[in-house]
Amino acid sequence: MSWQTFILHLFTYGILLYSIILLACYLLIGTFSIMETRSYLHKNSFTDYRVLASSTEAPSMSILAPAYNEGPTIIENVRSLLSLHYHNLEVIIINDGSKDDSLERLIEAYSLYKADFFVNQRLKTKPVRGVYRSSNPVYRKLIVVDKENGGKADALNVGVNIARSDYFVCIDVDCVLEQDALLKLAKPFLESTRQRVIAAGGVVRIANSCEIEGGRLVKVNLPKQLLPRIQTLEYIRAFLLSRMAWTKLNGLLLISGAFGAFDREIVIDCGGYNPKTVGEDMELVVRMRRHMEELGEPYKVAFIPDPLCWTEAPSTYRILGRQRNRWTRGTIETLRSHKKMFFNPSYGILGMLSYPYWFFFEFLAPIIEFFGILGLIYYCFEYAVNWQAVSIMIGVICLGILYSIFAILMEVLTYHQYKQKKEILHLVLAAILEPFVFHPFVVWSAVAGNFDLMRKNNSWGEMTRQGFTANKKN
Amino acid sequence: MTGRSVTYLLSISWQIQNIAVAAVVVLMVCLLTFMLMYMLGQSLQERKKHKWRMISDMLINKAIFYEERDEIEDQILESVLEAAKKLTGNKHFRKFITGELISAKKNISGASSDSLKQFYLQLGLEQYALRNLDSRQWYVKAQAIQELTIMDTDEFIDQLQAFTDDKNEYVRMEAQAAMVQFKGFEGLDFLDAITYPLSNWQQIKLLQLLSARPPSNIGMDKWFSSQNPTVVIFALKLARNYHRFELHDAIASCLDHDDADVRLEAIRCLNEIYTDETSDHLIAHFLREGLRNQVAMAKVMQTVGTKRDELFLFDLLTYDSDELKLHAARALVNASKDGLISLEKFSKQSEEAIARILMHIKAEKVA
Repeated sequence: MSWQTFILHLFTYGILLYSIILLACYLLIGTFSIMETRSYLHKNSFTDYRVLASSTEAPSMSILAPAYNEGPTIIENVRSLLSLHYHNLEVIIINDGSKDDSLERLIEAYSLYKADFFVNQRLKTKPVRGVYRSSNPVYRKLIVVDKENGGKADALNVGVNIARSDYFVCIDVDCVLEQDALLKLAKPFLESTRQRVIAAGGVVRIANSCEIEGGRLVKVNLPKQLLPRIQTLEYIRAFLLSRMAWTKLNGLLLISGAFGAFDREIVIDCGGYNPKTVGEDMELVVRMRRHMEELGEPYKVAFIPDPLCWTEAPSTYRILGRQRNRWTRGTIETLRSHKKMFFNPSYGILGMLSYPYWFFFEFLAPIIEFFGILGLIYYCFEYAVNWQAVSIMIGVICLGILYSIFAILMEVLTYHQYKQKKEILHLVLAAILEPFVFHPFVVWSAVAGNFDLMRKNNSWGEMTRQGFTANKKN
Repeated sequence: MTGRSVTYLLSISWQIQNIAVAAVVVLMVCLLTFMLMYMLGQSLQERKKHKWRMISDMLINKAIFYEERDEIEDQILESVLEAAKKLTGNKHFRKFITGELISAKKNISGASSDSLKQFYLQLGLEQYALRNLDSRQWYVKAQAIQELTIMDTDEFIDQLQAFTDDKNEYVRMEAQAAMVQFKGFEGLDFLDAITYPLSNWQQIKLLQLLSARPPSNIGMDKWFSSQNPTVVIFALKLARNYHRFELHDAIASCLDHDDADVRLEAIRCLNEIYTDETSDHLIAHFLREGLRNQVAMAKVMQTVGTKRDELFLFDLLTYDSDELKLHAARALVNASKDGLISLEKFSKQSEEAIARILMHIKAEKVA
């Protein structure tokens, strides 16, 4: 056996072994997801959330919504947040040094005045220029904070300092929440008796092509454009399968920055959001878990499979690339900051399972895939077509499609948001197209994220959104 | 390993790979077929439900407009009930009609609500619910308890009582709610014996159910000495919500409880039920508490603090925690008429944070 053949076999079977382990992980994720989702749906079937909606005993909640240059949509978005069903609620909008007229628009629309407000600086942040309250009692729940620009994490830390509630919900100001989203998100904190629930996440769904009226979602539609449609499938897979499975194991590491609730006391004890990373959402959850593990206190990160939050997905490759590049950098920064936990048994599931999974299958997967394909192309040109490697690649692609179809099936069996058979067919077609028109680009963006991190490029990457105006029902 | 055996292994693995790819494709087809069948089944079920809805709508309609019924209407009703009874053998219909009756029952009361209960019993649906109480699946059991409770079938109260300390939290939660729904404050006697914790969610639910009942003078001080800390917390919430001023000393004694959460609830309770001595109790226990409970105490001092507590409150203004300082400053301002002036004087001699707190409090006063 020549050395070239030996390397080829090593390479081929290395990839095969990696794929088999990944397949085993997918099988386990599928199984745990079914178990957890069934259990949740059973519990939810006889839960009356109206009890909480009207109760004065419900815990207070603060919504923290950082806003940067959101002028054109901010009034409508804030109105949507103020209309949420929850008794003890305060809505804190943090204007993170916007260069547009967001603040002026808010002042005018909500009759705001600058109040003398003592900000308890438990978390260090960029200076606060002013805190605004409304002179109109209808908007008594609203607080608007104007601060110097410091990024999303810094803005959220200001919100944490100002919030008076035991729990806070961080959201992207341009997201559309279901009316009962907070009631559902509050429940895990209230029902747990043996473990302290430190955070709870909810499912984020894609709102492109959906009908939005007065800041409320009135009709769910599958996105008409291909990229958002594939992302719809990707989100179903990530939220309904992966996060549910990790919740079953109590090993969830990520709560989306677009929508998640946190125990304020623990967040402050941990030092709040880290403004030095672009993956502040994941980093915070990992740090909170690490903190609880080090304290030796029983805790849980909960997750709710109900679709509660709707967001606009990138519809061009350019914006998608920036987003995925940033996600990759965030993942790496988080893993690097907490490398102490890697296969460290003193961190339990967190150290032995969650962290290694993220390392091998979230961080390394795109790199392995990228160099695997490069290697295969090189070998084909230099020597001959390696049919065995091509067969493995086809197998992996088919497995990916199978996993996506399983995710679609789970969606149909549980929440069935896309009622028309045509929409389900389009999702299946998206599953078949994804490995060819979407996945390679995502892999490339992730690899570029690695390079950018090495070059110390820590920009957020501008996320231009079209807004929901175009989808509004007339 | 010889070259031949390597070649053999490679050819075997090649075959396995091909079989695996074929298996994946077959699985894909199976999943898609299952999904299609399921969706077809669902649309068939929807069509059936459309027919069943005529029956449920008629029953609910008759219940709501029970006063307008005459002989002919009664005959129609009898035939509808007869038709519905024949269908109750079908579990899908049973689930559907029970769901419809339950959601209607939740939204109406009085004689109409009683009629719905009668229809429920006439259709024999309670027998299925009673059978489900023996199910091995917790959710079937819990759902059966909830169904019997919403349908007001208090004749089965003894059977439900047995589940109030069930090992499954959802089963016991529903059974406890059933007791309160049927017996009001008297139904809380399960608190004497429960060994499992009462979650905050359940406490909110029970308080909500009790809020629909007239206040009662039930003896709740016995629960203050329960071994189950969550029972003590719930009793404190009851005392607070129902303004049981005579329990002040018993509540104050909970400040010595081992559980910090119980002490926190006792502190909050003293904000509603207080006497001239309450602030003395709080001050006496202040140093033993952690920051969370100390902040809660400072908040209560805004209600119960008087001029004689000024020294203590000024002392709090020298603590590290800004949150504590803010609440202490508010308490100082509320403690006496010249509280604000005293705070202004103090702020001139102290750190900048106190001056900002003062501004904040002044703004609150204006608002």
